[in-house]
Amino acid sequence: MNKGRRKALKALGGAGAVLAAQPYLSFPAIAQSQPLRIGIISPRAGIAGTIGECGLRGTQFAVERINAAGGIAGRRIELIVEEETNPKDSIERLRKLVLQDKVDCVQGIVSSGVSLAMGPVAEEMKALTIFWDGTTQDGVKETMANPRYIFRSTDNECEAVMGSLLAIKHWKGKFKKIAGINPDYSYGRNNFAAFQALLKKFGVEHEIVADQWPKVGTLDLTSHVAALKAAKPDLVFSSLLFADLPIFMKTAHGAGLMEGGCKFVFPAAGFQHTALKKAFTPEGMIFGHNTLYFDHPKASALQKQFVQDYEAKFKDYPHWEADRAYFAMKVYQAGVEAAQKAKNAWPSQEDIINAMEGVKVESLGGPGHMRKDHIAEQTFYQGITTHKNRFDFPTLGEIDTMYSEQLQKPPGADFWKWIETAQIKL
Amino acid sequence: MRLAFAIFAFVALAAVPKLASPYYVTLVLPAIAYAIALLGFNLLFGYTGLLSFGHALFVAIGAYGAAVLSSKLGLKSFEMILLISGLAAVAAAIPVGLLSVRYVRIFFGILTLAFGMLFHSFLFKFYNLTGGDTGIRVLRPTLLGMDFKELDKTAFLIGPFYYYCLALLVVLGLAMWRIVHSPFGLHLAAARENPRKAEYLGVRVRLFRLIAFLISAFYCAVGGVILGINTGQADPELAYWTHSGELVFMTVLGGFANFFGPLIGAFSFIFLKSELMGVTQYWRFFLGVTLVLIVVLFPRGLAGIGEDAWSRAARKARRS
Amino acid sequence: MTAFFDILIGGVFHAAVLFLVAAGLQLVFGVQKIVNLACGSFYALGAYFGVSAVKWALGAGVPIPLFLPVLLASGVLVGLIGPAIEALLRTVYHRDEAFQLLLTFALVLMFQDVLRFFWGANPHELGNVSMEYGKVAIGAVQVPTYNVLVIAASIVIALGLGAFLQRTRFGRILRATAENREMSQALGVNVNWMYTVVFTLGTILGTVSGALVVPTAAASLDMPVELVVEAFAVVVIGGLGSMRGALAGALIVGLLRALAIRYYAELEMLAIYLVVIAVLIARPAGLLGKPIE
Repeated sequence: MNKGRRKALKALGGAGAVLAAQPYLSFPAIAQSQPLRIGIISPRAGIAGTIGECGLRGTQFAVERINAAGGIAGRRIELIVEEETNPKDSIERLRKLVLQDKVDCVQGIVSSGVSLAMGPVAEEMKALTIFWDGTTQDGVKETMANPRYIFRSTDNECEAVMGSLLAIKHWKGKFKKIAGINPDYSYGRNNFAAFQALLKKFGVEHEIVADQWPKVGTLDLTSHVAALKAAKPDLVFSSLLFADLPIFMKTAHGAGLMEGGCKFVFPAAGFQHTALKKAFTPEGMIFGHNTLYFDHPKASALQKQFVQDYEAKFKDYPHWEADRAYFAMKVYQAGVEAAQKAKNAWPSQEDIINAMEGVKVESLGGPGHMRKDHIAEQTFYQGITTHKNRFDFPTLGEIDTMYSEQLQKPPGADFWKWIETAQIKL
Repeated sequence: MRLAFAIFAFVALAAVPKLASPYYVTLVLPAIAYAIALLGFNLLFGYTGLLSFGHALFVAIGAYGAAVLSSKLGLKSFEMILLISGLAAVAAAIPVGLLSVRYVRIFFGILTLAFGMLFHSFLFKFYNLTGGDTGIRVLRPTLLGMDFKELDKTAFLIGPFYYYCLALLVVLGLAMWRIVHSPFGLHLAAARENPRKAEYLGVRVRLFRLIAFLISAFYCAVGGVILGINTGQADPELAYWTHSGELVFMTVLGGFANFFGPLIGAFSFIFLKSELMGVTQYWRFFLGVTLVLIVVLFPRGLAGIGEDAWSRAARKARRS
Repeated sequence: MTAFFDILIGGVFHAAVLFLVAAGLQLVFGVQKIVNLACGSFYALGAYFGVSAVKWALGAGVPIPLFLPVLLASGVLVGLIGPAIEALLRTVYHRDEAFQLLLTFALVLMFQDVLRFFWGANPHELGNVSMEYGKVAIGAVQVPTYNVLVIAASIVIALGLGAFLQRTRFGRILRATAENREMSQALGVNVNWMYTVVFTLGTILGTVSGALVVPTAAASLDMPVELVVEAFAVVVIGGLGSMRGALAGALIVGLLRALAIRYYAELEMLAIYLVVIAVLIARPAGLLGKPIE
């Protein structure tokens, strides 16, 4: 009797497969056999190359696990990867992905500048896009005021807020003269401005003695370091985060900037954490890892697995871009699966977007969710550096964890007014 | 023959939105923009003999003009944007041109490169004014007062905007044809061949070079406006010296000694670059190889190859 | 005062590196009248190759303090692609300058991807190797010894070049060919061979400067296009074709940049372009160049 049932089931299954193979029958099941095409736009070269690479690895980790478990609502994911370069060419790649490759979703983008330019274009093309990064709040009002098709990362530089709060918490009263060296684009500008606004809010007396803006891509920072040293600061605030950061540290160390008790606040240094060797990266720095701190003792099993796989495969340790990429993919998956379940058929793009609003996911670095206004909320990690570890680069001795709700302006608010008026706890 | 070619090209371009996929149409728009820019550039390079490595400066002025007018000053009329941006480029070209046309050949090239990079630096560094590396947004303009609100951006670009720009190309092309075949144009050619002799013959070499410079700046700005509207963003990389290099590349690829060369060059380059980008990550290498082949083997560019093939075919027909 | 000295040393270090690249440009322009847009590409090539050479050497057991000679040697070695490039350029010598310039631009495009192909897309750096020599006290300031060594190397090369051009027979023939090619040829000089030698020398100057700078910075794919503008600023300010001009121009650009960064950071490169334009207007031949017609 069992054999008969099994045979019957097999026959049914076979018939189903045959039916599924008929191209002109429009059962929803047919769509299931087609892969989901997802376009990824991330940097592959130059100063942000390693960042795009790490992000892509996060995406691939997510895709491997999703596909192994049967895909998103039964459909396998197929990735089409394009390169993020400058705004103009990146927009062209977006057009190709959407108009020619006809992808179901676009994910990626690291540079705030590119995201500001690409946002309106994606909106006008009605192309579902999830930005990995691009966390500026300047210019968003003009370009992406009420996005429908775009989903963004956080709405301002949470790491700048957190870094500033930590600096005030640990060192209030211990510094007066501040030097800033930040990359010359919206991200760098916003970071330093946020720091100053928070110092003002908490009544920390300070004086800006040096204000450096090296162009992104400048790899010869000798003169910048000399200028910083000449200003004799008590604290150096830097949102440098590309390949120029290790060079800055080396040069600064060589010039003696680390001696003399100068304090350092580096909210985005985690991007380069494995390149910042102990030899020139001191202890006692405020160091940011954003949404993924690879060596967190209380990390989830998921993160531990990811870090282990990453170390084995790439002989390196991941940073938060992998988490952002993973988060983007999981949010998409969660939205599609929820919408599919509710409709009991393959959802339309509008269904997916509605389902993505408010969805909660478990990302590599910790829990997160997507706000209804298409802004992400995630867990942020920063802390004080220590040399007491098994690596040749510093890790975090003291770790502070904050959920972005404390670090990010609420929907519709103006960032600068929010800093002035909101109840921000240290 | 030239007329036949022009008509054929026009018909082909007019048919593109009907025949090609939307993606390819959005590629043809920048090609039209560059074709207009290069018509002007080639007046300076092919006809006057001055190689500028800084003309991306004027393309950038066009794009930023469109950006500032549409998003900061709320001026949406395409016609006004073209006019004002074009005049702004000419205004900038006066001092640059006055200083540059005193020199020729390599010094002209280096000086224009320096001016181009000066503008790029300005666009980049003065973050509060120019948006820094992000640049400024370019909003959709109204065409002849109509805003086509019912169309989304892509439909707008491949529909009414495309045909408007095609018409612009024809009008500006005709204007350039008249310029080049006017006495002014002949004076330019004489000055290019032998400046001293031309000067003796009464050609005011420097003044005419300056005028050619100003006209080329205007055309480049028009191209820049179209590029800015197409992308939706004006960013400083538009003024970088390698972008100026691409302008020269396109002109030489098409053939600078032929009136239609720049147009052929613009279209060929855009498509070549896009196809290469989709096929390999080493597309810059193959573009470089293409340029080497053109410079070494086919200095008269694709137009030159075409002309040779045509005349060979004509000779064969005559003989038979 | 110490602060100012710090800035000074930083500026002179940058000038030392710029001088080497500019010297290469001047040599090639002076003799062959070619402006080589690919000088930045040679600089980058030297940097990447230098990183690989030092990493290999250290891995093979060479003691760390010897990394500087390894760098110099690797710079010279990779500069030997000069003859191959020159052979390519030879095909357009008889043509208009525009084509020569365009050919070097094509080289810039090609080199960018050649570098990417061999070394990947990410910047390469040498870790902390430059600190091996420690610091040296000059007056009241502590300066990394490596930087001083690079400045010294640059001075030695400058003097060597000067002696070569002024005192040796080959140098005299070289200068003669620069002045008047046809006459030189008529007098029996093998101009083709001379062009190859000169171009290779120019290439080596570029690659060596890249190799020397890489321990304090990193080799990246942006280097080729970024450096060209600064190098051009140097030769224009100094005067196209003049070696002493390269020195003067390099010092001016290096110091100006260092001062701008300290006192008015927004102006950084703008200041340099303004000086270039001012020089071209007031004294088009550059500060130390020969007047042009």
